[in-house]
Amino acid sequence: MIAMFRAVLYTQWKWSRLIVMLGTVAAFAIPLLSLQGAARGDRGALQAQELLRSVQSWGTLYPLLAAALGLLIAITTWAPDHRGRHIHALTLPVPRWQYVLLRFSAGFVLLAAPIAAVLLGAALATATATLPPGLQSYPIALAFRFALAVFVAYAVFFAVSAGTARTAGIILGVIAALVLVQVIASIANLDLDLVSVTQSLLVLGPGPLAVFTGRWMLIDV
Amino acid sequence: MLYCTNTLEREPSVFHGIDPRSAIPLYVQVAERVRLAIANGTLSSAAPLPSVRQLAAELRINPATVTQAYRDLEEQGFVEIRHGSGTFVRELAPGRRARERSQQAVTLVRRLLADARRSGVSMAELQRALETELGVKVT
Amino acid sequence: MTHAIQLERLHYRVGKAFEIKDLDLHVPAGSIYGFLGPNGSGKTTTIRLILGLLRPLDGRITVLGDVMPEQHARVLGRVGYVPEQPHLDATLTVQELIDFQAAFYPRWDHGRAAELRGGFELDREQLFGRLSKGQKAKLMILLALSQGAELLVLDEPTDGLDPVVRRDILSALLTYVSERGATIFISSHLVHELERVCDWVAVMDNGRLITESPMEKLKHGTKRLVVTGAPREIANPPFRMLSRESANGAGETWVVSDWESGMTSYIESLGGTVRDVIDLDLEDGFVELLRSFRKVGP
Repeated sequence: MIAMFRAVLYTQWKWSRLIVMLGTVAAFAIPLLSLQGAARGDRGALQAQELLRSVQSWGTLYPLLAAALGLLIAITTWAPDHRGRHIHALTLPVPRWQYVLLRFSAGFVLLAAPIAAVLLGAALATATATLPPGLQSYPIALAFRFALAVFVAYAVFFAVSAGTARTAGIILGVIAALVLVQVIASIANLDLDLVSVTQSLLVLGPGPLAVFTGRWMLIDV
Repeated sequence: MLYCTNTLEREPSVFHGIDPRSAIPLYVQVAERVRLAIANGTLSSAAPLPSVRQLAAELRINPATVTQAYRDLEEQGFVEIRHGSGTFVRELAPGRRARERSQQAVTLVRRLLADARRSGVSMAELQRALETELGVKVT
Repeated sequence: MTHAIQLERLHYRVGKAFEIKDLDLHVPAGSIYGFLGPNGSGKTTTIRLILGLLRPLDGRITVLGDVMPEQHARVLGRVGYVPEQPHLDATLTVQELIDFQAAFYPRWDHGRAAELRGGFELDREQLFGRLSKGQKAKLMILLALSQGAELLVLDEPTDGLDPVVRRDILSALLTYVSERGATIFISSHLVHELERVCDWVAVMDNGRLITESPMEKLKHGTKRLVVTGAPREIANPPFRMLSRESANGAGETWVVSDWESGMTSYIESLGGTVRDVIDLDLEDGFVELLRSFRKVGP
């Protein structure tokens, strides 16, 4: 089982190393860049406001990066099997759930690198910065939230791309149908906002996607 | 022993022209080739035959076919299968090689006759052709 | 376990166009079993059913004593499979693919893998996508033979390859069989190749089995006869009449299967004369069987 995992992990690394490396660099850089110029000790309350605004605008990059990493790694996880019509995977002498688990965990293990990079970058950024009075840094909380977001994005896209082209087609079809209904509704001047309905269903509720929303603050009061 | 195996390999003529499409089963053909090689002296007493594995891979035939051929040869007293070391040509009684050659001659003539009949050549025509080829009058 | 593969009353359907119906196959353990049939006859689908890649609608599949597809993980560890199209990832190298397979098969034979890689002259650093068709086929054979399989399932393994590569692959397979005593189930439409190596043959057409028989029996039992003076109707002959045509002037030409030499006297007892009994090779026999099957059914 360990040998199998090593083998699967190796192929996953070979397929996605570029994405993982770029993602790791970005994950390390974002917290550092977000606190750029915060190292000065002569900041008053006004500058604190400014700093928070800057941190908040940089903060939108974390969920974007998490979603992008989850999507790209999930795609590389299944792309070669899809191309080979799964014949190779299906003829391996392991139960199918076990193979799926191997692939899933290999991808997630690689995602540990950018998660660690966020933690490291955030810790480094806050350690070298002198914060205005009244502000606190939350590097561990931020990294934890990033890890959670990466996991959710990866799991969702993994499940989507693990299916056949048909499953992916159905999902795209549903999205297209929503858009179409929305367009027709707007032409007919109906008071129907499907986008915000879907959004509130998926994101704002207590669903797992809620992790992407809200403010991602490395520095906060 | 290694040397002898090599001579066999260098002389593929022993098994040359084995015909899987023929109605004669392949194991019969293989055994026939070995008998012929023994009869004409290509394979001398105590010479080893190629291993089943070797011959099957070389002729690209089923190993079971080779095994069957070797077993038949052993039953007919031409070879000895020593388990673990291989298959070897046996010491033959005097006259056995000659008898085997004349047996082979009979087989060849029968095939010739069957072919002639099929292609509509009469016996008289066949005999005349034989006499011309051999330069001898057959009575 | 006397049969490496056993299919009983197998039923499978894709859409409305293609159906495998009432398929029975018995592959004796230790045999080299040729699976013949024209393109589209259902050979690949049958192989996928055997390997548990597809689930039958009805019937029973037993492979190496275990039931498929339920016990596929157990069975597949003992089965080497070479698919019709090589399906491995193009971005991995020869050595990486070997290592990947090795991790999944507990009985992986590293010595054999190294030996075959040398014998097949495969460069370990070469990407799979850069290999020639023949090299890909060789690598697939290497992977199947190194896993220590008891059963090899080969779907057209030498189709479209040049004679030298075909020769190398067949030799490697036969060496493996003589060392390991494994069973080989090989589908092909290269009849002459199967004629050399197989001791059993099955012929399939349009999702149905036409015949399953030991090679010698099939070859010996299929003859072309030249017959004169036989009655028009023959009820329940001891052989199977595949075709019957009147030859120009010289009586009739029959193609029969299940023929035995003593049966000339049966035809004589009906008032006919057998002028000639002509042997058919496997290809002729195969073509005649197909022709008769398509005319009248099994």
